Amino acid sequence: MIQRWELDDRPAFLARLEALRAQGVSPERIRVRTPVPVHEAEALLRVRQSPLRYFTLAGACAGLLLGFAFPILTVRSWPLITGGKPLISVPAFIVVAFALTILLGALASFFGFLLLARLPSPARIREPEEHADAFVIEVSPEDAGGGTNGGDGARPPLAPNGGGHA
Amino acid sequence: MSTRQAFGRIETDVLAAMGRPGLLFRAALAICALCFAGGLGLWLHQMIAGMGVAGIRHPVGWGVYITNFVFWVGIAHSGTLISAVLFLFRARFRSSFNRSAEAMTVIAVMTAGLYPLIHLGRSWLFYWLMPYPNQRLLWVNFRSPLVWDVFAISTYLIVSLVFFYVGLIPDLAALRRRFSGLRAGLYRLLSLGWLGTAAQWAHYNQLYLFLAALATPLVISVHSVVSWDFATSIVPGWHTTIFAPYFVAGAIFSGTAMVLTLSIPMRRILRLERHITVDHMESLAKILIFTSLIVTYAYIVEFAMAYYSGHLFETAHFRYRTFGDYRFMFYLMILGNTLLPLTLLWRRLRRHPGYLLAISLFIHVGMWCERFVIIVTALAREYDPYSWGTYSPSAVEIGITIGSFGMFFTLFLIFTKLLPVLSVTELKERAESPADPALEGRPGGTAA
Repeated sequence: MIQRWELDDRPAFLARLEALRAQGVSPERIRVRTPVPVHEAEALLRVRQSPLRYFTLAGACAGLLLGFAFPILTVRSWPLITGGKPLISVPAFIVVAFALTILLGALASFFGFLLLARLPSPARIREPEEHADAFVIEVSPEDAGGGTNGGDGARPPLAPNGGGHA
Repeated sequence: MSTRQAFGRIETDVLAAMGRPGLLFRAALAICALCFAGGLGLWLHQMIAGMGVAGIRHPVGWGVYITNFVFWVGIAHSGTLISAVLFLFRARFRSSFNRSAEAMTVIAVMTAGLYPLIHLGRSWLFYWLMPYPNQRLLWVNFRSPLVWDVFAISTYLIVSLVFFYVGLIPDLAALRRRFSGLRAGLYRLLSLGWLGTAAQWAHYNQLYLFLAALATPLVISVHSVVSWDFATSIVPGWHTTIFAPYFVAGAIFSGTAMVLTLSIPMRRILRLERHITVDHMESLAKILIFTSLIVTYAYIVEFAMAYYSGHLFETAHFRYRTFGDYRFMFYLMILGNTLLPLTLLWRRLRRHPGYLLAISLFIHVGMWCERFVIIVTALAREYDPYSWGTYSPSAVEIGITIGSFGMFFTLFLIFTKLLPVLSVTELKERAESPADPALEGRPGGTAA
C-alpha cells in the first residue's frame, strides 16, 4: 500500500523527508510533488544534476558551426564580390553565427528539458494530478519497484540500507 | 497564515485579475482594437495605392516606419532585461514584473517586426528577406546589416517566446484546477501535464538558468545589430562606434518605462497592489535613472566627438540637429530622456506611482523623438546640398503608427485576461522563503 503525506509547508515537508530517509527508505521508493522547487529535497532524494547542460552545449555548438558554415558555403557557391570585401568576411558573419548559437542553444535546451522531464505527458494532460498547493510525499511499498519520482527513471541502484520500513 | 494558505491567497489574487472584464477594460479593449483595425486598413490602402501615400521620398527614405521599428524593438528590450538579467543577479523584485514584461517583449517584437514589412511597400514579397537562393541561385548578402536584422530579430522573438512559455508551465499547472470548461482544457494542454516532482524541478531550474544566460547576451546583441543598420553607413550622424551601447541603453530605458506604463494602471485596475508594491516600482525607477544617465552621456559624446573631430559634415549635422528644422523634436528628446528622469533622484517622487506613470509617458515621447531625430535629420542633410530636403509624415504614416499602438495594447489587454499577469510560482517562492530584507522587511514595503 502506498503511504501518503500532504504537508503544509517546506519545513514540515523536509522534516518528514529526512525522517523517512533516516528510517532507511530508499529514495527510489519516495516520490514527491511540490508547488515550488525545494532544493534541499534534491539532495535527500539523490536527484542527480540535470544533464540538460549537454543539450545546451550541443545545440549552441551546432548553432555556431551552422552559423559560420551557412554564409561561407553559400558565398562560395556563387562567388560575388560586394562592397569590395573579401568573399569570406568573417567579422560580418560573426553576427549570424552568434544569433544561431543562441537560437539553437535555447531550442536544444527547451526540447532537452521536455525529453528529460517527460513532458508533454498525454495521460497527465487528460487527467492531471492536483494537490492544491500541498507538499506531497508518497512512499511506494518495497516490492513495487519504485523509480516513480517522475521524469528521471534511470536512477542508479544505491543505498546499502535501501530496504528499510516506512 | 500557513504557507499553504499564503499560496492559496496568491492564486486567488492572480485569478481575480483574470476574472470577468469590467466596463473600463472592455472600453479600453474596444478603443485599442479600433485603432488596430484602422491601422490595418491604412496598410491595405498603402499596398493598393502604392508607397506614394507615405511621406518618405528622396532624400529621406527612412521615416516614421523605421522610427517605429526601432522604437518597438527598444520597448521589447526590457522584458528580457527584467526576466533574464535580474534573474541572474537574483534581484527579487523581478517577480512583480517579469511575466508582464515578458509578454510585453513578445508583443512588442511582433509589432516591430511588422514595420520592415510595411516599409517594404510590396509587403507580399517579404520572403525575399529570408536566406534562401533566388531563381539564379544567388543567396542573400550576409554582409548586409539588414540580413543580420532578420537573424537577430527572429532569434529574439523565438527565444523570448520560449522563455515566456517556460515560465508559464508551472503556473498553468497551478491554475488549471481553478477553471472549468474550455479554459481548463487549454491550461491543461499548455501545462503539458506538469507534476512538480523533484526531478522535474531540477531540470526546470536548470533550463530557466540556461535560458536566462542565453537571453542576456541576446538582448545586448539585438539592439546592437539594429544600431549597425545605421552605424555601418557613412552618413554623418550615423557613422559612429558609440551607436551599439547607446542604442542598447536607450532600449532598456524605454522598455523599463513601458513596464511602468503598463504595470501602474494594471496594479490598480486588477487590484494587485499587494504584489506590485511601491518598493518594486522604486527599483524600476532606479533603472530608469541609471539608463537615462547613460543615454545622456551618449548624447554628450556625440556632440563632443563632432566638435573635437572638426569634421565639416559631422559638425554641420549636429548644428542642424540642434537648430535646424527638427529642433523641437530634439528639445523634446532632451526633456524626456535627460531632464525629467533627473527628478527621480528625489526619493519622494520616484515612490509616487502617478508621477512615475507621467514620467514614463514623457520618456516614450522622448525616445520616439530620439529615433526620429537620429534617422530623419541625418538623411535630410547628407553631404551634397543639392540633395538636401525635409520630411514630414503623411496621414497614412501617422495612422499606421497609431494602429501599431492599438495592436500592442490590444494584445496586451487580451494577455492580462488570458494568462496570469504575475508569476504565481515565483510569488509563492518569494512568500515562502525568509523575508527579503531589501524589500519586504522595510516599513512601506506593502501596498501604497
